[in-house]
Amino acid sequence: MLTPNERERYDRQIMIQDIGVEGQEKLKRSRVLVAGAGGLGSPIAFYLTAAGIGTIRLIDHDQVTLSNLNRQILHWEQDIGRKKTDSAATKLSHLNSGVTLEAIAETITEENVSELVRGCDVIVDAMDNLPTRYVLNRCAVEKKIPFFHGAVSGFEGRVMTILPGKTACLRCMYRGPFPQGKFPVIGVAPALVGVIQATEVIKYLVGIGKLLTNRLLIYDGLELTFTELTIHKNPDCDHCGSGVTTESQRAQR
Amino acid sequence: MAVKIHIHTTHRQYTNGLEVVEVMGNTVGDCLSHLVQQFPAIEKALFIKKDKLHNNVEIYLNHTTAYPNELMKPVKEGDEIHLVVMLAGG
Repeated sequence: MLTPNERERYDRQIMIQDIGVEGQEKLKRSRVLVAGAGGLGSPIAFYLTAAGIGTIRLIDHDQVTLSNLNRQILHWEQDIGRKKTDSAATKLSHLNSGVTLEAIAETITEENVSELVRGCDVIVDAMDNLPTRYVLNRCAVEKKIPFFHGAVSGFEGRVMTILPGKTACLRCMYRGPFPQGKFPVIGVAPALVGVIQATEVIKYLVGIGKLLTNRLLIYDGLELTFTELTIHKNPDCDHCGSGVTTESQRAQR
Repeated sequence: MAVKIHIHTTHRQYTNGLEVVEVMGNTVGDCLSHLVQQFPAIEKALFIKKDKLHNNVEIYLNHTTAYPNELMKPVKEGDEIHLVVMLAGG
């Protein structure tokens, strides 16, 4: 049930036929894990908070540094040296005190990911490296939790939505490791990609629209083009392929 | 077969800024070989060694993933290949 305050706050989106009061209540009942409070995590967290997600679990192990401020709009000059989770909690609570924020300053690992995602309806990829993305992807696939992938570099970005058991996962496209390091990026790129991810999350939770499943959306900010590419589930994928034994299957043996 | 290759933003420095290069070939591998013939500097950006693409290079044929065994995929007249680079930033 929405309170009178919530009916007023979310009036403009409740007016959207596809959302209505029922859709808004679905958002209120949801718990979303946002893995990362950086370039992607900032717009994702801001817009999901504004939209009225009931609980947002925000995970990041970093502290705010000056070089973050060209894109990580959750954090300001006064936050340099602070934990990103603390900085984010301050801003998001001022934006919408009705959203419960679970801010966790931890590094996501194979050992703790299962506990970190416990109770979450969806996982949003706001990571800055592939190995941790694959840790999240594997966990999402095992636990059948929808996973909303996004990544950026320079003026470019990509987005894909993963429904475990039904669609291709992030690992389906895996060819092997490659060197990664400091990546070039301007704030408008993760801003746009993060908002698309947040859009997908909202659509999924409300149950509306067409998701970017088996669809990889590539954004080129320099050319201002969007390219949609089709991805297939890979039967040999070592996360979701037919030969993979899940944690629950192993436990039953 | 005449095929168009859409060059990734970061690789256009090797193709004189061209976003689309026309090539000939019967397979994706043939087409990439013809691309390299025209613009040799792009080879190192695409391949780690002969017939082995870098792990972050993705090939899409007519907007659909060509993975796995991308280089062996047959192409026909008018097909389009997109060269895409896996991103990791956030």
